[in-house]
Amino acid sequence: MNAQAQTQYATEVGYNFAYLDEQTKRMIRRGLLKAVAVPGYQVPFGGREMPLPYGWGTGGMQLTAAILGADDVLKVIDQGADDTTNAVSIRRFFARTAGVKTTTRTPEATVIQTRHRIPETALSGDQIMVYQVPIPEPLRFIEPSETETRTMHALEDYGVMHVKLYEDIATFGHIATSYAYPVTVDERYVMDPSPIPKFDNPKLHMSPALMLFGAGREKRLYAVPPFTRVVSLDFADHPFEIQRWDECCAFCGSQDSYLDELIVDDAGTKRFVCSDTDYCMQRRDLEEEGEQ
Amino acid sequence: MNAANSSQWLQPAFNDPVLDAQTSFRSALKALAEPGLIQPLNRALALENLQPATYALCLAFLDGDTPLWLAPRFDTPAIRANLAFHCGCPIVAERELALFALLDESELTDLSDFDNGSERYPDQSCTLLIQLDALSNGAALRWRGPGIKDVRSVELPLPAVFWQQRQARSAFPRGLDAFFAAGEQVIGLPRSTRVLLNAEEAA
Repeated sequence: MNAQAQTQYATEVGYNFAYLDEQTKRMIRRGLLKAVAVPGYQVPFGGREMPLPYGWGTGGMQLTAAILGADDVLKVIDQGADDTTNAVSIRRFFARTAGVKTTTRTPEATVIQTRHRIPETALSGDQIMVYQVPIPEPLRFIEPSETETRTMHALEDYGVMHVKLYEDIATFGHIATSYAYPVTVDERYVMDPSPIPKFDNPKLHMSPALMLFGAGREKRLYAVPPFTRVVSLDFADHPFEIQRWDECCAFCGSQDSYLDELIVDDAGTKRFVCSDTDYCMQRRDLEEEGEQ
Repeated sequence: MNAANSSQWLQPAFNDPVLDAQTSFRSALKALAEPGLIQPLNRALALENLQPATYALCLAFLDGDTPLWLAPRFDTPAIRANLAFHCGCPIVAERELALFALLDESELTDLSDFDNGSERYPDQSCTLLIQLDALSNGAALRWRGPGIKDVRSVELPLPAVFWQQRQARSAFPRGLDAFFAAGEQVIGLPRSTRVLLNAEEAA
């Protein structure tokens, strides 16, 4: 969605500001304070039914609704893109229920709700990231029982996470986990950074922005405060590595952004483009300015 | 106190209950996310001896789900009536039951009875709302931890015994989170912050 295509939506009447009622917002806000005080710990909260299905960002939306104010500028991205169904509808939802300004430009946003990416543009201390999380428990695929995983977190019993990564190495010769790559927050809690590519994991470390994570179906929220140590799990002989490409973006020529692979014809020709549409657009605008 | 004649104590709370609560919450969130940095909190008026920032924290956080413990200094008919009317929070006499506690400086010598959560549910702990006369001109202490890029020097005017009490109640992830309010300002101190009392000693 281009800037000029952004119509001002009429604010809906009959809803509270940002859809949720004040009692629910207070409950989520108290949870957020505890999440910030215990970085990486998953705080249970009374998740509400939202007017869209689980899996479409109900957790992120409830957090956004709880923190959003009249002066905020909201950006919503889905896999890095501002113009996909999920991003457009959530942005429109808050434009209509809260009357807030929306943007696609990362530096202009004060609240960025995201599904599965962190913007390439560096974040600032005045911004809050809200992540949509499908499964908040990093231990869930190893231990299905909630009482067991809760005990494991309490005892800091995270050996199985390394076993899981080791099994990758035993099977594939390298750590094959490429998204939702587990991290340790401030040397205590192991946390699922939501299904962001591991390419984005280093951006969590000592970020100046506050990071909030919301899982609507699982009814958990957690947080990484600004300037917090976030370390991806690895081994001394198999250090953590991010994805790299030999190609560059077909639009903007970027060599250091996260690239999506496109098949462009029946012969299977591949092109690569930036997953972060705003970053790509900014670079192309700069290039055009340079040419003029 | 008889509820029937408590209306004489009532005062207006937030001008805009929705947006003022949101603004106050965001200040508190930023205070806790960046410990030691002073945040403005000016959306409420003072209520008797509750200063604006302290009262704004109460209005933003408290409702029927949050048992509150009141320090004797704040346990007045006017404060009780307004908290009952605007927040509807139960006021408890036992510190162990409180999810929030409203304290003044004289209460900081003993924090032993407030709930500091459990290993499995560290979030189920009491949050301390501490009203001070000022947020500066105390002994400079160095704070480290999440939310602080390197080290932050904070000069809260607190007795040394507070830091001993906090240390005694800390066993991360268990611990007490605190907001210090004075006038129209607030400073957050989450349990994750490590306070260095001097060069070597860590508390």
